[in-house]
Amino acid sequence: MKKNLLIRLTGLGLAVVMAAGMSGCGGSGGGTGGGSAATEEYSKPESIKMTFDTCMTFENGLQDVCDEYKNQTGIDLSIEKPDHAKYYEKITLAFASGNPSDVIEMGSTYYPENANNGALWDMTDAWENTTATAKSIIDESYVDALKVDIKDGNGPRLYGFPTVAGNGTITYARKDWFDEATGGNAPKNYDEFIEMLRKFKARGNGAIPITAAGLINSETPYDIYLREFYQDAIPDFYQKEDGSWVDGFTEPAMEGALQRMRDAFAEGLIDGEIVTNNTSTCRDKFNSGLVGAFNYWAGMWCAKLDDSTPDTELVPLPIIEEAGHYIERVPTAMVITNNCSNPVGVFEDLIMYSHDGGAGQLLFTRGVKDKHYTENSDGTATALAYYEDPNTLVEKSFYAPELSITEWQDPIALDPRVESSLQVFRENREFATVPQVSDVISDNLANLNVVKKEVIANVVHGNISVEEGMEKYNNEAGSYVEAILADLNSNG
Amino acid sequence: MLSTQFSFRKGYRARAVFVILNAIFFIFMMVCMIVPIIKILSDSLMNHTVYGLKLIPDEINFIAYGRIFSQESLRRPLVISVYTTLMTTFIGLLISTIGAYILIQREMPGVKLFGYMLMFTMIFNGGLIPTFLVMKTIGLLDSLWAVIIPISLNVSNLVLMRSFFEGLPKSLFEAAEIDGCTPIGIFFKIVLPLSKAALASIGLFFAVAAWSEYFHYVMYISDTSKYNFQYKLRDLFADKQEQSEGININVKTLQSAAIIVSIVPFMFIYPFCQKYFMTGITMGAVKE
Amino acid sequence: MAGVNHETLVVKKPPLGNLLYKYRYFYLMAIPVVVLLLIFFYWPMLGIRFAFSTYKLKHITSGAGPDYSTGFGNFVALFKDKFFIDSFRNTVVLSFWNLVFSTVFTVIVALLINELQHEWAKKFVQTVLYLPHFLSWVVVASIFTLLLSAGADQTGTDLTTVGFVNAIFMKLGFIDHPIAFLTTKETWRPAWYIIQRWKETGWGTIIYLAALSGISPDLYEAAEIDGAGRMKQTWYITLPSLMDTILIVFILNLAKILNVFESVFVLYNELVYSVSDVIQTYTYRKGIQGNDYGYSTAIGLFKSVISLFLVTGADYVAKRIRGYGIV
Repeated sequence: MKKNLLIRLTGLGLAVVMAAGMSGCGGSGGGTGGGSAATEEYSKPESIKMTFDTCMTFENGLQDVCDEYKNQTGIDLSIEKPDHAKYYEKITLAFASGNPSDVIEMGSTYYPENANNGALWDMTDAWENTTATAKSIIDESYVDALKVDIKDGNGPRLYGFPTVAGNGTITYARKDWFDEATGGNAPKNYDEFIEMLRKFKARGNGAIPITAAGLINSETPYDIYLREFYQDAIPDFYQKEDGSWVDGFTEPAMEGALQRMRDAFAEGLIDGEIVTNNTSTCRDKFNSGLVGAFNYWAGMWCAKLDDSTPDTELVPLPIIEEAGHYIERVPTAMVITNNCSNPVGVFEDLIMYSHDGGAGQLLFTRGVKDKHYTENSDGTATALAYYEDPNTLVEKSFYAPELSITEWQDPIALDPRVESSLQVFRENREFATVPQVSDVISDNLANLNVVKKEVIANVVHGNISVEEGMEKYNNEAGSYVEAILADLNSNG
Repeated sequence: MLSTQFSFRKGYRARAVFVILNAIFFIFMMVCMIVPIIKILSDSLMNHTVYGLKLIPDEINFIAYGRIFSQESLRRPLVISVYTTLMTTFIGLLISTIGAYILIQREMPGVKLFGYMLMFTMIFNGGLIPTFLVMKTIGLLDSLWAVIIPISLNVSNLVLMRSFFEGLPKSLFEAAEIDGCTPIGIFFKIVLPLSKAALASIGLFFAVAAWSEYFHYVMYISDTSKYNFQYKLRDLFADKQEQSEGININVKTLQSAAIIVSIVPFMFIYPFCQKYFMTGITMGAVKE
Repeated sequence: MAGVNHETLVVKKPPLGNLLYKYRYFYLMAIPVVVLLLIFFYWPMLGIRFAFSTYKLKHITSGAGPDYSTGFGNFVALFKDKFFIDSFRNTVVLSFWNLVFSTVFTVIVALLINELQHEWAKKFVQTVLYLPHFLSWVVVASIFTLLLSAGADQTGTDLTTVGFVNAIFMKLGFIDHPIAFLTTKETWRPAWYIIQRWKETGWGTIIYLAALSGISPDLYEAAEIDGAGRMKQTWYITLPSLMDTILIVFILNLAKILNVFESVFVLYNELVYSVSDVIQTYTYRKGIQGNDYGYSTAIGLFKSVISLFLVTGADYVAKRIRGYGIV
């Protein structure tokens, strides 16, 4: 009896190991290493594996979108949708285990590095030679924004295709406060802007004139928030007219920006908790009516912020004279990995198809007919509710409709607030460029950014003066800056 | 028994003062602990955003709780959580009691090697990519075993368990051995029954570790139908700036409700475990 | 009592064959544990060799694998990096004090809980005290950032938005200006220690309370007959009986001493980098942009070696104190 128990116990232990060995069912291997993908002939792919971050969930019918895609094209599409917070770790692991998906959605911080590493299929020729409808209806400036020069002598090449416009942030104001402070006229220059903030401040009761999630963004473009204060200062490396690279942080314009932020902070115009804010605290503060002005995403977020802020509407403000423009980020890319066995086919039948201005784009934007939207008799359509939430209408399957990069006629009318905020943004934007990549940069950038953040925060909080801040920056970051500049300038 | 008399008579005065101070101390501690949790509870009942510390909700709205128990993508993870928690607790206790029982055999040849082998894993690890590749090689990707086994193999818990076993009187083992008990017999007849406090506390450690596990799911599991509740909770908190999925109710309300749901089971489990901690229960059993 | 099993007699050891036979069941039981250890811990440890290589995203994505020409290059680069040295120092300071506070405070609270008179009071207090353990650090950070805030306007003209703690301190007259606890260099560490205690104290007491149940009531009865008061009983009976557990928990924590990450990551900010940046937050930032797995494995190996020294040292001390170590 006792022996039996022992045997059972150890047996169970072993069974665990064995069950472990058998129950797994690894990835259903994609194509084998395509290696050098020369301009092959087009052939229709049988199946495509795609990793995507910003799409609808399976619970809301992502599989139905894949099924409909199979219906329309005859191609099996399988999607992997990792956790948003660990998306890039998962992708790295997939690469490390030699089994990345055929197609991966990749943000602009990671895209150029992977292009540089030779992991991505060069789609320049495919794009130039394609006869797809997409070619004639896409706004090329979005495609050009993704061209990367990996210094292999071929000049800028295309390693990823934009999913939607990169979009950017604009400054919103609460309409009630705004009307009282300005009489409805948006501030045209910095003085008027500060005057508006002062009036917000004068309301008392803990009114926060302007808030943001940090004084400097943690990835490029660094100065996407607080544009009114940065103005012509660029806290990043950039190329001058003559082609030489400089560190914007050491340019005279930066001192002016620091001084403006420092003065405004001392006057209590900038949120005192700006350093500890993250975007959700900013939203919470704004939604609970504590904040006058808030720099946040244009487009869909305008409607969302508005809906969750009771008692008032939102006013998207045009940029002030001195700042000149808001910043449109580099679009998110859809890349084809070198693991893909039929890149041309995938490019044509997935990427081009999803931007075709017709059935494909409708599927990749609005989802499946009668599941995610219904067609009306007059040719327009109406969005249906999410499977899981009968109170919310489907916003998108993969691509946000309001950020489409083609001349596409969306059958579903957009929320007017989404359109008006985007219009203000587009009238006032400039495109950011793909960040530079090299070993020297990736070795030094993290430390450099820490110094930048420390200097800005301490200067703004009044712990040190602007001059002291600049001195600190030169002392502590000098070596990193030098190394990076030398590298950038040597590559031309 | 222990003097539990409460009186201000001479000789008992110091004790009385202590009892009062002790009570005040714990009332203060409990207030500190409970205020933030009440804030979360209050946030979970108001379907609008409130920035700041509001302990009394200005509306009572259970919409978020309704959502958690009706929405498939939140309800299923709860089931997964319960399943992995039970499995991990069982397998974890199995491994740690067996391991600890082996470790207290001081004369057993090789027992030191076994001990060092265990300790070494607490200090050194192979890192993310190698561990992932091993999981892939043995085919555990997308299997819940990839979560259960690594949490069950907890050397800290095993060592703690051993220290409890060591506290058992050696005379009992010797007596049992003389009576002709096999090691297995001793294990089930003496070691386990006398270690209820250890089993309860370490079992709780395993349960909580499995319940709050997040990392292993992210790394080894891609099948969205196998995520646990903690994973979903993190997902709700992820700052998805430009992305949003149809959540019509206030996100903050849903987040807060999800936190409360993730805590509640352990408000009931603890008093249950605690009954095994009562002083003297172990030795009492020995005497019988 | 545990720990007094020194063999004073020199017992002749039985032959190895006999011992192996005697313990045959134990070997059988050890097999599954060892197999699991080998698969899940030792096999991945082969990856430690990456510490001596350059293994960046490009080696991964191109399929080239790690480049071992680096040798000890990663370690050399580490010690040249001012940020690594700073983060190492912060890690040591933060974890050392946290370990001290956690040990002392947790044991005291456990003893005090044990002194509570009624079973239901014990249960209730413990349940409330251990609840914060179940909140993730992200949530804890969002709550404490709110509680410890100095308000949206730190210039002092409008104090309606100051956090709960500052409001109380100001009402009580301790301070006349709000303190931005989490963005001031001098107050960040104390705040971090307190938040750590807030979250983990109740949880930490569980193991001690379980251990307290193992103390024989006979000991207390005997002491009472000898006329020992409660204080003396605690000092001469309870505490020594707990010593074993305290030591083990201490050493187990020592093994993890350099692994501070999430609690700092969610609470630190650029104003307090110089006192709060720890090894893992540093690696995290590096990883985001650098993605050099060789380098981060080297850091991991460095931490492991330090832990190895600490644990072996503590184990040696434990051996001296109570006759045997934790292994």
